Amino acid sequence: MAKSKPVAAEVTQDNSLYNKKPWLTRARPYLIIAPSLLITIGILVPFVSAIFYSLTNYSFRSPNWKFIGLDNWINALTSPEYWHAIWVTIQYAAATTISEMLLGLGIAILLSRETRFTKILRVVLIFPLMIAPVIATLIWQLMTNNSVGIIEKFLNLFNIYNFTWSSSPKTALFTAALIDFWVYAPFVIVLILAGIQSLPKSPFEASRIDGGSAWFTFKNLTLPMLKPFLYIALIFRLMAAMQEFAIIFALTKGGPGDTLMNLSVTAYNTGFAFMKFGKSLPYILTLWLIINIISKRLVANWQKVMKQASGNS
Amino acid sequence: MFSENQSLLSRLIQNLLLIIYSIFALFPLFWMALITFKSDLQMFNTTFFFTPTLENYKAVLIGTDYIKTFIDNVIVSGGAVLVSVLAGVPAAYALARFNFKYKEDLAFTILSFKFAPEILVILPLFMIYQKLHLYDTYLGLIWVYQLITMPLLIWVVRGYFEDISVEVEQAAELDGYPWYSVFWKILLPLIKPGLVASALLAFIFAWNSFTFSLQLSGFNIQTVTVASLRYIASDTVHYGQMAVAATIAALPEVILALLIQKHLVRGLSFGAVKG
Amino acid sequence: MKRHWQKIITLTLAIAMILSLAACGGSTATTAAPAATTTAAAAGGGETSAAAAGFDWKQQDGSKLRVMFNQHPYAEAIIQKIPDFTALTGIEVEYSLTPEENYFDKVTTALNSKSGDPDIFMTGAYQVWEYAPAGYVEDLSTYINDAGKTSPDYDFADFYPGIVGSLQWDLVAGHKTGSGPQWALPLGFEMYSLAYNKSVFADLGLTPPKTMEELKALLPKLKEFNGPGSYALAIRGSRNWATIHPGYMTTFASYGAQDFVVEGNKLVSKVNSPESVAMTDEWVQMIKDGGAPSWSSYTWYQAGADLGAGKAAMLYDADCNGYFQNVEGASQEAGDIAWVPAPLPEGKSDIFSNMWTWAIAMNSSSKNKDAAWMFMQYFTSKEYTQWASVNAKVVDPARKSVFESADFQAVLDKAEGFAATFDAQIANTGIQFTPQPHFFETTTEWAATLQDIVGGKYKSTQEAMDALKKKMDEIVSDVEVG
Repeated sequence: MAKSKPVAAEVTQDNSLYNKKPWLTRARPYLIIAPSLLITIGILVPFVSAIFYSLTNYSFRSPNWKFIGLDNWINALTSPEYWHAIWVTIQYAAATTISEMLLGLGIAILLSRETRFTKILRVVLIFPLMIAPVIATLIWQLMTNNSVGIIEKFLNLFNIYNFTWSSSPKTALFTAALIDFWVYAPFVIVLILAGIQSLPKSPFEASRIDGGSAWFTFKNLTLPMLKPFLYIALIFRLMAAMQEFAIIFALTKGGPGDTLMNLSVTAYNTGFAFMKFGKSLPYILTLWLIINIISKRLVANWQKVMKQASGNS
Repeated sequence: MFSENQSLLSRLIQNLLLIIYSIFALFPLFWMALITFKSDLQMFNTTFFFTPTLENYKAVLIGTDYIKTFIDNVIVSGGAVLVSVLAGVPAAYALARFNFKYKEDLAFTILSFKFAPEILVILPLFMIYQKLHLYDTYLGLIWVYQLITMPLLIWVVRGYFEDISVEVEQAAELDGYPWYSVFWKILLPLIKPGLVASALLAFIFAWNSFTFSLQLSGFNIQTVTVASLRYIASDTVHYGQMAVAATIAALPEVILALLIQKHLVRGLSFGAVKG
Repeated sequence: MKRHWQKIITLTLAIAMILSLAACGGSTATTAAPAATTTAAAAGGGETSAAAAGFDWKQQDGSKLRVMFNQHPYAEAIIQKIPDFTALTGIEVEYSLTPEENYFDKVTTALNSKSGDPDIFMTGAYQVWEYAPAGYVEDLSTYINDAGKTSPDYDFADFYPGIVGSLQWDLVAGHKTGSGPQWALPLGFEMYSLAYNKSVFADLGLTPPKTMEELKALLPKLKEFNGPGSYALAIRGSRNWATIHPGYMTTFASYGAQDFVVEGNKLVSKVNSPESVAMTDEWVQMIKDGGAPSWSSYTWYQAGADLGAGKAAMLYDADCNGYFQNVEGASQEAGDIAWVPAPLPEGKSDIFSNMWTWAIAMNSSSKNKDAAWMFMQYFTSKEYTQWASVNAKVVDPARKSVFESADFQAVLDKAEGFAATFDAQIANTGIQFTPQPHFFETTTEWAATLQDIVGGKYKSTQEAMDALKKKMDEIVSDVEVG
C-alpha cells in the first residue's frame, strides 16, 4: 500500500479550509503535538536535576546535604565497582542480544514454513513476551528451585542434584540470560518472521531455478533483504538489555557477590537501598551516555539500511 | 523460501526443533498454572499427580489484598493508556499529515523516551515526586508510565495514519467538512482497529512495568509486579501462593495478546515493520 | 463505532475506580479470630480495671492510628488482637502489612517525609541506628516513666535487660547499645543456636556438636543423609545484611573478633584481624563442605524450609526459625527438631549470641503520640505477650515472666532442648555489632564479600577481608565519633 505523503500545511489543493489566520495554521501541528510533548518532557526534567544531585552527597538517611563537587564522579571512576558494572552490563547485553538474534532468526525461519502447525505456533509463541519479566523470573525461580522445582526434578532423573542456577557466579549470568531469552526471543521471532513474510517471492524463485543452494540463497538473498528487520530487533533488544533491571533484581539483586551488578542494579542499590543518592548518579549517567551514543549510531545505520532496502524493492 | 520438495527427514527435524522450542516457551506457563492448585505440603514430593486444592487461591485472593493490587494495576495501566491516546493520537496525526520544522527531530525525541534507562528516571523523580506530593499516587504513576505508552502509541498510530491515502481526507474537505470533523468522523473509524490494538499493546507493557512502581509507589498503591515479590511468607515459603500471584498477573495479558494478533508486529516494532 | 469503544473503556475504568475505592478501606482491622473478644475479656481482666494513679485506658478514646507492619508472625499476632485493643481504648487502628523485602524502604521514605504517617512502625535494633540520629524516632522514656500515661501493671523491669537494652542507644557512633533513650519496645526477639533433626541423628548414631571442630567432623557424615540432594547444614547466604547477623556474627563474636573499633575520632574496621580471618575461613570451609550448593540464594525462609523438609540435617540460624518448622503440621519433619547452643570455637567457653528483635517505635512526627503510646504499651504488656507467646507463635518473648510461666514452658516442652539452649545463652545475648548509621551498607558488602570468597574470586580469605576492610572504612569515613 503506498504511503501517502504528508500534506504540507501551507500548500494544499483546496484553499477554502486554510483561509484562516496563517500563523494559526502554521502553528497548528505544534499545538497538536504540544500536550504529548509536555507530558513526556515533563518527566524528563528530572534528568537535569540528576546531574545537579550527582554533585552533592544527598542521602535519604540524613536530612542535611552539601555540595561535594566532582567527588562522586572521581570516587566512581576510581572504584573497581564502577568498571565492573560496565563490564557486567556489556556481558549481559552481549549474551542476551546475541542469543536472541541468532536463535530468534533460526526459529523465525523454521516458522516461516506454511503448515498448520506453524500457523498455530505463531500465535501461541508470543505468550512469553506478554509476561512481565519479574513474573517470568518468579516462574523460573520456582521451576529451578532445588527443593520443589519441576526442572530440578527433571534433572534429578539424570542424577544432577542442586544445580546452582542463580546461586553460583559460574551459572548466574547463564540463568539471567536464559530468563531474558525466554521472555524476549518471541519479540525477535515475530519481527523477523514478519520480515520474511514480506519478502518478494521472485528473487527466490529465480535463485531456485538457477540452482542456488539453500545456504547461498540465505546468505546472499535472505539476509540482506532482512536487514531492516534485523536492525530493528537489534536496536530494541540491545538498548533494553543494557539497562536491564527487573530480571536481575528479582533474581539475585545483583549477586552472587557482584556477579550480576550491572550499571542499573548498582545504581539502584547505592541510590535506594543505601539511600546514597548522589553516589549512585555517576552510574546512571554513564549508562545513559552509553545508551545514547550506541542508539544514535544504530538508528542512523538503520535509516541508511532502510533507504537501501526501499531502493531495491 | 522453502522449496516444496524437502526431504521427509528435513521436515521432521524442523518440526522437532520447533516442538523443542514450543515446550521451552510454553511449559513454564502450564506448570505454573498447575501448581496453583497444589498445597504447600505436597509441593515437595509430588510432581504431576496430586490432589488439587483451592486453598492457595483463597489465601491470596481473600487473605491478602491482591485483588486491590490487581485493580491498582488496571487503573494505572488503563489510565496511562487513556492519557497517551488522548494526547498521542492528535500528535500522531500531526506527524503523519503535516510538514513542519523539526518534525523528525521531535518524532525521534519522542521515540528516545522509550530508550531512557528507567533507573535514570526514577531516582530523581523519586525526590521530585515527594515534593510535589505525587509519590504513591495514581496520577504520579500514570504520568511516569507515559514514558512507556506514549512513544509506542504515537509512532504506531502515525504509521496507521500514513497508510490512509490523502484523497480520503481531501474528498471530505471538498464536501465542506472542517478538519476536526474529518478527523473525528472519518479518520478515526478507519484506524480504529490499529488504534485499539496499539492501545492494548501499550496496556500490556504498562502492566508489566516493574521499576517505576517499585520506587514511585508502594504504600497506598502496589502493582502486581511489585507485589509478586512478596509471596514468601515469614515462616514457610508458600510456593503455591507465589504461583497464584504469577498466574493472575499473567492471565490478562495472555488473553489480550490473543485479541491483538493481527496488529502485533506493527505495535512491537513501533510502526517500523508492517505486519 | 468508536463511540462504542469509548463507552466501554470509560465504563470499565469507572467500575475499576469504584471497586478500588471500596477496596481501599479494606485494610482496617477486620481479620480473623472472632472468638478473641471472649478470651480477651477473660485474660485482660487486670487491664479493664481503671487503676488508681489516674491512668485510664480510654484516655485517648476516639483517636485514629496508622501502623506499618512487616509481614511476620509477630505482626499477625497483633492484628488478631486489634479488635480487643479498640474495644478497650476506643482507638481505631489502620495498618499495612508489607513483606520484609520492601518493608524498610517504605518505612524510611515515610519517616523522611515527616508527614506523621505512620504513627507507629515495626523496626529492628539496627534500623534505630539510622532513624534515631536523623530525628525520626520518639524517645519513649518520658512515656514509660509517666504514671498518668502508663498502666501500673506495665512492669518495665520484667523485660530481659539485654533485649530491651538493645533498643537503647546514646546516638554516639561507636558506643554500644544498652544506655541512652529508649527508642523502641520489643515485641519478641531471637537468638542464634543450632537446630538439628534428632531422628536423623539418632538413626546415624550421632551426637549434636558442642564446638566448631565437632561440627566440622559431622559434615561428611551427614552428606546426602536423606538421599541425593540433601546436605548437612543450612545457613543463610543471600546478598544481604541478614546473612551476616545470625550464625555468622554469633560465631564471629565468640571468636573474639570485632567489626569496628574506635581509633581517635574515627571508626576503623577490624574485619581483617587474625581472629576474623580465621573464623571466616572456617565458615567458608563449612559452607563448601556441608552447605547447600545454592547457598548464596538462601534466606531465612529457604534455610528453615530445608530443615523442615528433611533436606538439611542442621540449621544454624534463629532459634525461632527452626521453632516455626517444628510446630505440628508446619512441615514434614515437624516434631523431630531439637536444639543445642551455638557451636563454640576451640578454647572458648562463652557463647556471645547476636540477637535480633522486632520492636515497635513511634514516629517523632506523629500527631497522635499519646494514642500511639496506648497501642505500644498494650502490645508489649504482660497480658498480651503471655497470650501471644502461648497462642500465636511469638517466640522468644522479651519478658522474663512470660518465658518462665508454666503455660509457656509447657508449649516449649514440645521443642526439645529449646528452653535449655535459651537458658545457656541468654546471659551473653546482645547486639554484637558496633552501632553506626551505615550498618546496612557495610554489612551488605560483608555478605557480598562472603559470596565472593565462596565463589572463588579471591586467592585467600585474608585478601578478601583486606578488601572488605577498605570498603568498610570508606563507607564510615564520614561518621564522627563523639
